[in-house]
Amino acid sequence: MTAALTLEHLTKRFGGLVAVQDVTVEIAAGGITGLIGPNGAGKTTLFRVITGGVRPSAGRALYYGREITGWSAHAVCRLGACVTHQIVRPFADLTVLENVLVGAAFGGSHRLGGLTARAEAEAVLEFTGLARRRDVLASTLTLAERKRLEIARALATRPRVLLLDEVLAGLTPAETDQAVALVRAIRDRGITIVMIEHVMRAVMDLSDRVLVLNYGRLIADGLPAEVTRNPQVIEAYLGRDFGVM
Amino acid sequence: MRAARPAALAAPVIGILLALVPVIAPRNVSLLNLGFFTFLYVARGVAWNILGGFAGYISFGYAAFFGLGAYTTALLWLRGWAPVATYPLAGLVAAAFSLVVGAPTLRLVGPYFSIATIGVGEAMRILALNLDRVTGGASGLNLPTTVPSKGWFYTAALVCAAVSFAIAAGVRRSRFGLGLQALRMDQEAAESLGVRTALFKNLAHILSAFLVGACGGLEATYLQYLHPDSVFGFTESISLVLITLIGGLGTLWGPVLGAAVFYAVQDYLLASYPTLHLLVYGVLLILILLFEPKGLAGLAARLWRRMQVSR
Amino acid sequence: MYTAQDLISVGISALLTAGLYAVMSYGLAIIYGVMKVINLSNAGFVMLGAFLTLVYFQQWHLDPILGAFLNLPVFFVMGWLVYRLLVRRVMTALPIASLLLLFALWLVVQNVALLIWGSEDQSIITAYTYKALALLGFRISLTRLLVFGVALAVLTVLHYGLGHTYIGKALRATVQDPQAALLVGIDTGRISAVAFGLGTAFAGFAGGLLALLFSFTPDFGGSFQLKSFTIIVLGGLENLAGVTVGAAILAFAESFAVLFMRASLQDVVAYALLVVALIVMPGGVAQLLARSRS
Repeated sequence: MTAALTLEHLTKRFGGLVAVQDVTVEIAAGGITGLIGPNGAGKTTLFRVITGGVRPSAGRALYYGREITGWSAHAVCRLGACVTHQIVRPFADLTVLENVLVGAAFGGSHRLGGLTARAEAEAVLEFTGLARRRDVLASTLTLAERKRLEIARALATRPRVLLLDEVLAGLTPAETDQAVALVRAIRDRGITIVMIEHVMRAVMDLSDRVLVLNYGRLIADGLPAEVTRNPQVIEAYLGRDFGVM
Repeated sequence: MRAARPAALAAPVIGILLALVPVIAPRNVSLLNLGFFTFLYVARGVAWNILGGFAGYISFGYAAFFGLGAYTTALLWLRGWAPVATYPLAGLVAAAFSLVVGAPTLRLVGPYFSIATIGVGEAMRILALNLDRVTGGASGLNLPTTVPSKGWFYTAALVCAAVSFAIAAGVRRSRFGLGLQALRMDQEAAESLGVRTALFKNLAHILSAFLVGACGGLEATYLQYLHPDSVFGFTESISLVLITLIGGLGTLWGPVLGAAVFYAVQDYLLASYPTLHLLVYGVLLILILLFEPKGLAGLAARLWRRMQVSR
Repeated sequence: MYTAQDLISVGISALLTAGLYAVMSYGLAIIYGVMKVINLSNAGFVMLGAFLTLVYFQQWHLDPILGAFLNLPVFFVMGWLVYRLLVRRVMTALPIASLLLLFALWLVVQNVALLIWGSEDQSIITAYTYKALALLGFRISLTRLLVFGVALAVLTVLHYGLGHTYIGKALRATVQDPQAALLVGIDTGRISAVAFGLGTAFAGFAGGLLALLFSFTPDFGGSFQLKSFTIIVLGGLENLAGVTVGAAILAFAESFAVLFMRASLQDVVAYALLVVALIVMPGGVAQLLARSRS
């Protein structure tokens, strides 16, 4: 069974700064993989190297066995791997429906005709609970709704792999619960999810497996419970003085 | 993708009414002239808006396409071609050139693209001035004087405007148009959703350059004399920017309104100073940028909404 | 072909031109550096500077070089007002909005000048306009030498001012990192107003100097505008010191290009350099140097 995403020795350097160092991991299809690490650890950069049109300095990325190293963002999306952005970027002057329609009309390997794309967009809105807001301008949405729109847009591209970048940041506990439920619902549809998160409670709850990045290196990989007890991980977050707990 | 019902009918109706003018008043030369120039401005403004308004790339160098189209028609006409046959070719030459300059420059972000287009436009003008064996250089190019009637020119320009408008309307409601709007609002987000932004930007550029080039051919036939400073001039480029910005950037009817007002003002003030209308436009543009970014179309929409509410 | 004497002569001419170009472009560089605004009205103020210098000369017999210096405060106030009344309001919109606003302002300034002074060529002829100096065997026009000298002096004062005064340091800090500047208590709103005033002051000053060298009409300034852009892009958009480098590159490229092609094509050199520089190395020469170091 081919892994959904395979990363081999992925490295990204910006001038003298090494943002991602020699990351090798295989992410199996289905299930939720959490990606955590302190601020500046290189998590978003890793996402961008995989799907965001940023060419790695070394290493390869494969999607279901297909080489996608350095592919442009739109090509990777059409192949089936879509990413959401940490700072949500809705198309401000388009309605919620039109926002999702962009994903429906352009994502995916088969181009959807006008009516089918629209139907797909409506279905995604229904699924993500945004149907009531479909004709509202995206600029008027609340933060929680914008985060959901970001996910909805990505879902409309019919991905097999979805990379979520801090979709829970800035949400109230109630909104967080709703978002967690949505992520589970997406997983139940068979979509492989990799999520960057800082909200520990949620990511430990959701993930089948957790990867920990620190200074661009993968320092831990395993079940949530194992990773939280890993001394290197604790040190990465809290510093050496707290290393022994 | 939010086409208003009334506007969808308005366009063909207005078009038909305008088309009847040469039938009703075939000898009213000043009216036919007014129509000719206004329709050509509409055609070019609407075309420019496809790249400037829909895709959000403000070009100050469209005179290059206008001039290329004009000279293509001129040179072929002098070699015995029927002018009408040259218009599509004029468009194609302009489109080809737009691909050559567009591919590298469209990669630049907004304001830098705009600056680069000023350079390209002006460089073309200077080249045209210097390639005297081809273009006649500073002494200009004299063209054949057997031309159709003013009525014919009026109708031809109306056709150009109609075609341009129809294409822009079609783009606006299509998937292509949605992609352009998305990339205007947020290029990276659009890319991450599968929009081929580089391809779409260049397509918009080529399409609008084609239309502007064809208009150039028609204008050359009318003028019967070409000089690089007129068709390649910076004033021509900024006219298109002004028309669309004042009329309403990104709207469908904006450039139409803008062109009508633009030409009317220009015609009225032409007697006093050749570029005084630009002073009026400068002030108008400042006011619009400060208070009503959607231009005259935006103002009209606001008034319309206010009238609806007060009923 | 060309003798060494010819080449050196062209070189000297290029050097003198470079000084003028640098002064002309500094205003643009300051405004861009501090506010990231592309000031398309710069050319308009250069032209206005030339015309006001003409007025001083005609009314008060004020020497154009002194007139240029008089322009400094006059245009500083003008720029400050333009910022406060107009530019400040579009700073929160997309960058293209400020570009278009200043473009519109340029249209207004140019056409107001047309209304007031008409479109005939104007020039300022002083007692020394046609004099030339013999230096090391070369004849150099006195006015060009004077303009170069003044430009050099002013640039040196500016360099010192930027390095050693509070305002200067605040300006440079805002150029490097606007957020950090805010954090250390620099009033970036006021700094922007100062930057705009300073930039416009330089435009007016350059205009005065240009009036001494060339004849001018309200259309004057258009090609200088693009050249100024080329210069700041070549020098590196965020790099104030780069302006002198960019000015030198353009001046020399233009002057030597004329040896191989028609003079009327000279402006194409600037335009070609601009487009190429924007595409290939937006960080300018400074970026190239930084890359080769690392």
